[in-house]
Amino acid sequence: MAAPALLTVKPRARRRLKPSLVAGLVIIGAFVLMALFPQVIAPYSPTAFDYQAVLQGPTAKHLFGTDNFGRDVFSRVVWGAQLDMQIALFTTLFPFLFGTLIGALTGYYGRWADAIFGRVVDIVVTFPFLVLVIAIVAVLGPGLKNMYIAVSAVGWITYGRLIRAEIRGQKRAEYALAGQVMGYTPARIIFRHLLPNAITPAIVYWMTDMALGILLGSSLGYLGLGAQPPTAEWGVLIADGKNFLATAWWISTFPGLAITLAGVGFSLLGDGLADLLRPRG
Amino acid sequence: MSEPILKLNNLCTVFHTARGRFTAVDGVNLELFPGEVLGLVGESGSGKSVTLRSILRLVRPPGRVSGEVRWRGRNLLSLSEPQMRQVRGGEISMIFQEPMTALNPVLPVGEQIAETLREHTELSGNALRQRAIELLELVGIPSPKERLRDYPHQFSGGMRQRVMIAIALASNPKLLLADEPTTALDVTIQDQILKLLLRLKDTLGMSVILVTHDLGVVAQTCERVAVMYAGRIVEVAPAAELFAQPRHAYTLGLLNSVPGAGSTRRPLIPIPGAPPDLTALPPGCSFAPRCAFATDECTAQRPPLMDISGPESPAVRLTACIHHDALSAAGEVTR
Repeated sequence: MAAPALLTVKPRARRRLKPSLVAGLVIIGAFVLMALFPQVIAPYSPTAFDYQAVLQGPTAKHLFGTDNFGRDVFSRVVWGAQLDMQIALFTTLFPFLFGTLIGALTGYYGRWADAIFGRVVDIVVTFPFLVLVIAIVAVLGPGLKNMYIAVSAVGWITYGRLIRAEIRGQKRAEYALAGQVMGYTPARIIFRHLLPNAITPAIVYWMTDMALGILLGSSLGYLGLGAQPPTAEWGVLIADGKNFLATAWWISTFPGLAITLAGVGFSLLGDGLADLLRPRG
Repeated sequence: MSEPILKLNNLCTVFHTARGRFTAVDGVNLELFPGEVLGLVGESGSGKSVTLRSILRLVRPPGRVSGEVRWRGRNLLSLSEPQMRQVRGGEISMIFQEPMTALNPVLPVGEQIAETLREHTELSGNALRQRAIELLELVGIPSPKERLRDYPHQFSGGMRQRVMIAIALASNPKLLLADEPTTALDVTIQDQILKLLLRLKDTLGMSVILVTHDLGVVAQTCERVAVMYAGRIVEVAPAAELFAQPRHAYTLGLLNSVPGAGSTRRPLIPIPGAPPDLTALPPGCSFAPRCAFATDECTAQRPPLMDISGPESPAVRLTACIHHDALSAAGEVTR
């Protein structure tokens, strides 16, 4: 009989991974590999000058060509992955954690905690994100560490709002009341019961935010406020090549493509995760 | 009769909102005896659920509870929050109307039972697991060992309510507050759950307060009934006597508006009008504007809950109806 066999199939096993999730995983996986083992993948040192091969176009020897110092652009893009993946993580990790914490607490307790949070949100969203970050970096001084501080100081707001809204919805569910009835402490109800039910949008946004983080890091690198030359960072690489755009397009184009690809990868990942984590009945 | 295990003295729950002051529970006095099943009935919005939540102090701001909830010698309303957590789930448990949402969707049910056990008992490791299996068995869930790992969405509504009951019973509470536990279930499952509750009440020696608007459920399960209207208790009586001879005009109205299954068909008599606005209760009996028996006396001042137990009925009967005598003369329940 076929029917019993069908019944024994667990719903989980029937769930197929979405193509967008797979694509995102492959792209980001590739970048992570580059970031972890650049010395294995890159054929040259990212900072070694070679005056015999200056401003050469893409060839078999130099896949992405060379820049005005004869540095191998492919190697620099690969090493750049290390820094840009780091930027993606560090510009978002603290905002994710801190924003989640604040959002959970204000969402659960409401009242005055919520009122204070609301005013802070109002203040921060009044300023354009980039302007605020640039202003903070300008005060603290350029460099990666200060960039992380600046982005974290502003970025947690979004996570806080997301989680707060979710927790406010979840806390009306009867299982939250049931938790109270069972004599659980508020901390337990918030972090063990409500948060796992509320965290999905924040995780999905986190993926998108990493793409934004890379863009931001590159922008600041390009403006000279983030990573400093000669460090191989994609934004810095683009800036390096901007004087040669007409004669040596490859210097700026390939790092630009890397940024685009990483952005698409994170977006696909976020999209796929949203599908995967969507609660079912 | 033995000492009451729970005593509500002048329990009031008021919500201060922008639109005014809602008196959801208005001076409720009620006693519950050990091992008893008390039904709390009334229309939607009559304050039944809020009364239950007030007992456990689960009323959210802007709601405020006043009066006294005397539970085994202590006033629950004056306990500290940590002491209250010991009572909740430990001595008094509660189950809800919506078994679909009262379980956490992201945790396996075994884990949710274990969590309560860890909170209120000394059990751990294998003993804890054994107890969880025992509890699922107790509430009649087949192959409990396997089902511990399952998530709430893998259970049907009736099974979820059983799981809820298992969780509520995990710490051997002395009182179970059941807030319309069968309203969301179909009739056959409803019957099973009620029978289960009654059986568990006997084996575990609990008292139960059963909130419902379903008089059929009351007739089937409760020993005593308290009828609520607009936040007040209007009549208290043994279930059989209440059904045979209601002594409050509202109770009579309720009974007349319910189809009597199996008996001769008769037109239903609805109660005219709607429950009063809780921000502006009428000065006298709050049922008077809808009542056929109402006189000037009823609207003049609020009638107290009177003891009308006579020699012919030894059990305590209380009513807040001035015309309870007229009722017993004129008001045969039309069935």
